[in-house]
Amino acid sequence: MKTPIPRLLLVAGFLAASAYAAFEAGSFAYTKKLETTLLAEPKPLAEPAGKIALGHKVKVEEVKGAWLRISEGPVAGWVYAGNLSATKPDESNKFDGVAFLASKTTATAAARPLDDTVVQYADQRQLGNARGDLEWMMASCAEITEETVDQFLKEQKKGEYQ
Amino acid sequence: MKARFPFILLAAALAATVVPALSGLDFGKLTKAVNDATKAIDTGKDVAKVGKSVVGIGPQEERKLGEAVAVEIIGRYGGLVRDEDIMRRVNLVGRALARYSDRPSLDWQFAVLDSDTVNAFSAPGGLVFITRGLYEQADSDDVLAGILGHEIAHITNKNALKIVQRGDAATGAKSLLINNSGDARELDAAASQVSQVGSTLGFDVVGLAKRLFEKGFDAPTEYTADHDGRALAATTGYAPGGLRAALQQLQKKGENRKTMFSSHPPLPERIKRLPNDPAPPAPAETVAAADAKDQPGGETK
Repeated sequence: MKTPIPRLLLVAGFLAASAYAAFEAGSFAYTKKLETTLLAEPKPLAEPAGKIALGHKVKVEEVKGAWLRISEGPVAGWVYAGNLSATKPDESNKFDGVAFLASKTTATAAARPLDDTVVQYADQRQLGNARGDLEWMMASCAEITEETVDQFLKEQKKGEYQ
Repeated sequence: MKARFPFILLAAALAATVVPALSGLDFGKLTKAVNDATKAIDTGKDVAKVGKSVVGIGPQEERKLGEAVAVEIIGRYGGLVRDEDIMRRVNLVGRALARYSDRPSLDWQFAVLDSDTVNAFSAPGGLVFITRGLYEQADSDDVLAGILGHEIAHITNKNALKIVQRGDAATGAKSLLINNSGDARELDAAASQVSQVGSTLGFDVVGLAKRLFEKGFDAPTEYTADHDGRALAATTGYAPGGLRAALQQLQKKGENRKTMFSSHPPLPERIKRLPNDPAPPAPAETVAAADAKDQPGGETK
């Protein structure tokens, strides 16, 4: 309480040590987003330098704090360490966005409606109130956009904005 | 387990043929999803993979299963806390973490259950719940991140799906209904009806929910989720000691296995296995936390 700065430094030290210990120059990592954008510099707002699809094995060429310069064949650039995995992602993760994509194309509202099967399930289980809560949850969550999350990360200096 | 898939296929085919009106698996929608996925994601080679995935537990089935389990969780734990500030906080911190998780493309959603007990649950497909009793322990976003990181890890590690795939959840619908009905015939009728809906979904939802409520995951799975959640919090920029601090705080108050993490291993075992990280600074100690009060996702208490 009385010495917040040293405590913060200690916490920051632990953060740096624990979060990025897995990656070092010469090691390999895997992309885990549907599309990982490589940047020209180790900064979140730098120019894009290339893209790599999910599940590709990449070589870590250089480490600068939480940023890694990686390459896969002719494609090279900087990426935030949190966007890579030390282990190969499950191949089926490629389809994680399918339900989301499908709903975007079929629903007019921002919030995806509950599937008919789930509605039927809730009704037969006599869990109508719970169903109402879940629908409220989905509508509330839909109001928080990716841009809002991005703004939150910037303001809180989290993720690649640290 | 492999031998079950033909039966599931057969059951799905029968359901679609005999009772199309009751069939919740909308094959038109599934086909459309496959087509969308094909266009949006990759080449024709992957169509077979999407199809294969749908036969097993594909993304849409995972989400449906998750929503059905979520209905059970919400029903069991007093409904949701309908507070916009709380929803905003848990979703901003949760989605910040999820962005750097191993499944960043899932439709992640977080909420607080209106229950005094201390517990947290995850449902397949990206749905995460913590009880009000636990939320109130999270006086800083570092602690909240530690708690949510653990539940996110259960989803990214597909722990519940593995239970379904192993068939461990096939405990039957009856036992969960016993508390609500003393009449055997009524019980049988209710169980039959629930099983019917479960068959439409293609999963034993009641069995899975029962398993999650009563036994939870096995201890090694929980310790792995503690480890992975801690790493995720740290990667996202939160103090790695958040979860440990929450567990220690609860231990100080005196562990009650009935009301505190009843579906998780004992607190001392979990604390012992986590690295001895320093407790995160209290909100007032950090400039960021002071600023956060005026920002989205800031402290609400």
